Amino acid sequence: MTITNVSRRNFLKTASAVSGGLVIGISLPVDALAGIESEADSTFNPNAFIHLTDNGDTLIYCGRCEMGQGISTALPAAVADEMEADWTRVSVKQGDADEKYGPQATGGSASIRRMYQPMREAGAAAKEMLIAAAAKVWKVSSKDCYAENHTVINNLTKQKLGYGQLASIAANMPVPKSPKLKSKAEFRYIGKELARHNQGDIVEGKLTYGVDTKMPGLKYAAITHCPVLGGSIKSVEKADALKMKGVIDVIEIPRFNVPFGTIGGVAVVADNNWTAQQALKKLNIEWELGENKIYDTKQYKQQLVKNVEKDALLAVERGDVTKAFKSAKSVVAATYTGGHLSHSPMEPNASVVWVQKDSCEVWAATQSPADIQKVLGQYLKREPTDVIVHVTMAGGAFGRKFKCDYVHEAAVISEKINAPVQLTWSREEDLRTGFYHSINAQHIEASLDDEGNVTGWLHRAAFPSIGSLFDPSLERAPANSLEAIASHPFGIENFRSETGEAKAHTRIGWYRAVYAIFYGFAFGTFADELAHKAGKDSLAFINQIYDNNKDPEQQEQTMRSKHALTLAAEKSGWHNKDKLPENQGIGIAVHYSFKSYVAMAVKVEVNGDDIKVLNVDCVIDCGQILNVDGATAQMEGAVVMGMSLALSTEVNFKNGAVVNSNFHDYPVMRLPDMPNVNVHIVESDKSPTGLGEPGVAPFAPALSNAVFAASGRRYRDIPFKPLAV
Amino acid sequence: MATSITINGKAHDIDVEGDMPLLWFLRDNLEFTGTKYGCGAGLCGACTVHVDGVATRSCITPVASLAGKSITTIEGLSQNGDHPLQKAWLNNKVPQCGYCQAGQIMNAASLLATNASPSSDEIDNAMQGNICRCGTYQRIKKAISEAAPELYKEV
Repeated sequence: MTITNVSRRNFLKTASAVSGGLVIGISLPVDALAGIESEADSTFNPNAFIHLTDNGDTLIYCGRCEMGQGISTALPAAVADEMEADWTRVSVKQGDADEKYGPQATGGSASIRRMYQPMREAGAAAKEMLIAAAAKVWKVSSKDCYAENHTVINNLTKQKLGYGQLASIAANMPVPKSPKLKSKAEFRYIGKELARHNQGDIVEGKLTYGVDTKMPGLKYAAITHCPVLGGSIKSVEKADALKMKGVIDVIEIPRFNVPFGTIGGVAVVADNNWTAQQALKKLNIEWELGENKIYDTKQYKQQLVKNVEKDALLAVERGDVTKAFKSAKSVVAATYTGGHLSHSPMEPNASVVWVQKDSCEVWAATQSPADIQKVLGQYLKREPTDVIVHVTMAGGAFGRKFKCDYVHEAAVISEKINAPVQLTWSREEDLRTGFYHSINAQHIEASLDDEGNVTGWLHRAAFPSIGSLFDPSLERAPANSLEAIASHPFGIENFRSETGEAKAHTRIGWYRAVYAIFYGFAFGTFADELAHKAGKDSLAFINQIYDNNKDPEQQEQTMRSKHALTLAAEKSGWHNKDKLPENQGIGIAVHYSFKSYVAMAVKVEVNGDDIKVLNVDCVIDCGQILNVDGATAQMEGAVVMGMSLALSTEVNFKNGAVVNSNFHDYPVMRLPDMPNVNVHIVESDKSPTGLGEPGVAPFAPALSNAVFAASGRRYRDIPFKPLAV
Repeated sequence: MATSITINGKAHDIDVEGDMPLLWFLRDNLEFTGTKYGCGAGLCGACTVHVDGVATRSCITPVASLAGKSITTIEGLSQNGDHPLQKAWLNNKVPQCGYCQAGQIMNAASLLATNASPSSDEIDNAMQGNICRCGTYQRIKKAISEAAPELYKEV
């Protein structure tokens, strides 16, 4: 990590209207940000900037993408804290796509994990430079000065100088090699409750998202794609659409043969969105559906079950499962399944692109701006750096906006009509031709000894994997997609995992929590089933599994998992659960993913088929918390997303095409079903880890366990209560 | 027949095809982008505005049907972003991505206009048409309860 004074280097020439003052660049080796461990040093390439202007305003530029997860508040708060900046003087700027920010792809709950420490050190360096500047003015030693809330104070005379007054002087000070960081007790913002920096604009309707971009001469486009993956256009009758007043053109979009590329389609361009949408309906398109027209998720799920209930391809083996099963008191088996999910962020896929002869500009909510530069660079035969990407706030993303096909399409249209174009996918297009969380099946068999110890564990999984985007010929998920099964902190000694056949017939893409959704469900539910089989209390039984894990490298994981689970259970009234009304029950589950630990205790009431979630106690252990409020909000949201997917949302395919079309038949959770959610944060000094995703996984298993406790009915298929479609 | 509508106190000519939903007239013609597109079918509430004070889904309401009526959008809910609901939203740190929140606030404002102290069930009923995918429902509910007495104190 390098901290560099770039005050004189015009790094922010295009980004900031104000020049002068102190500008600090924070650069991480590119590999570290991308998650690749490497000793090789990179050239100076700052990933974030602090700009203290001469009037004292502090602007923090961050290249991570904001989609509601709160990163654009949490990371700047770490800077401001160490810098002793006044949070009310700090504003946060989203960095455009630019290699100067290093890899900006935002996913995997990784931003805080990788950037917390560097951001703090940069803030601390800035503070030391400001103190040095003040000492120079007063002609005293730095040791006689200290910084407090945007001011440097002379300890001898009690004179004060504001940060603004010092900015340009500080710009001439050397950057300290190892700036001293605050102790936990000194934190002003880290670990406190901070409001999202842009919430004022949100409640006034002033914050602009990708879909809100406006500019003179803007044209509007609507698009439809072949309903079956791999299909193509046979014929398009455009006449009726072109006759409509306000319609400019009908354009066929070619397929882009890159992993997240557009699958191709037909777009209508018009003077406004409404006209474009209406004209789209007047097109008469005949599609060549291709080989995936056989895809039927009902049958496919049944096939996956068959594929995991027989021998499959070995992924990982340790010890001897067969022997363990032979000498067991009993062997328990269960099969778990889950359907496809659509991210369905409230802001649909949208972008504005303006391709001109010698420039290409993009305005879009995106989790992966550099990929847009790369793909459009290839398409337009230009350098990626010639594609300017303005990253807007995303109105939700959940993994969908990592894949920027909606930008590729707008570029094709803009190039064709030679004007700036806003393309907005309809909700129906988003549901029908998206990237989906994998449909899946898992079969687990485990052996118990006389004391109720788990002695062996066979785990087969079958699901079309994200890898199929990169290699469509994959017949099954590659072994490394099952890595989280083998490395689960249960760490059973005699273990075998296998991957079953599961060819993809649609596009599979990261969805908030990714495979942890179904791994968490299978592990968390099966553990409860085993406990009942062994005649033990679930909490004690699961803790016993962790205790039996003697792998020294997993001791931290087992300790933290146990602690989170035990705390969630205690908070929920687990030990008094026998006193609950007969139709109520509590279920617990813990899941370790993305380096964080989340446990949930879910209390339900079951009346016939009706499941009412009353209360959720959620415990998070993600090391040092940056923003208590942001962390709490992420967990509340994870419960809602967990509840939607556990109970009701599922994307179904028939004859190769998605059956669902809008929120009436993709029923995400609504306000009346909101349970009371209590979030409990484990106090910790460990390095902070991310929270965008880890909260989703433990909900569904805790719910399944709760419903079983309340009613004796066991749900093993997600969603528990699918709509009939 | 009147061919103009009043939006946030200002008259605008309806100079588009009459079947265009108000949502697109607001967003594309007037460039009031605070009102959001979410589903286009009246299923999610992101596009909620007030028509003569009543919460209405602008994505399914043809602009011609609103001739002579008075529309309020999130931009016109208060002078300085200081409607008790907006303040309660900030106080409870409701938004995550924030995309649905204009619709949520407009819907809640319509509820409070006719109900000074809605019960938990009444809030549930009134707000069930507004989806938040980030999952801010617990805070939305709390903010509405908190804003109700403030709103009526001011009147």
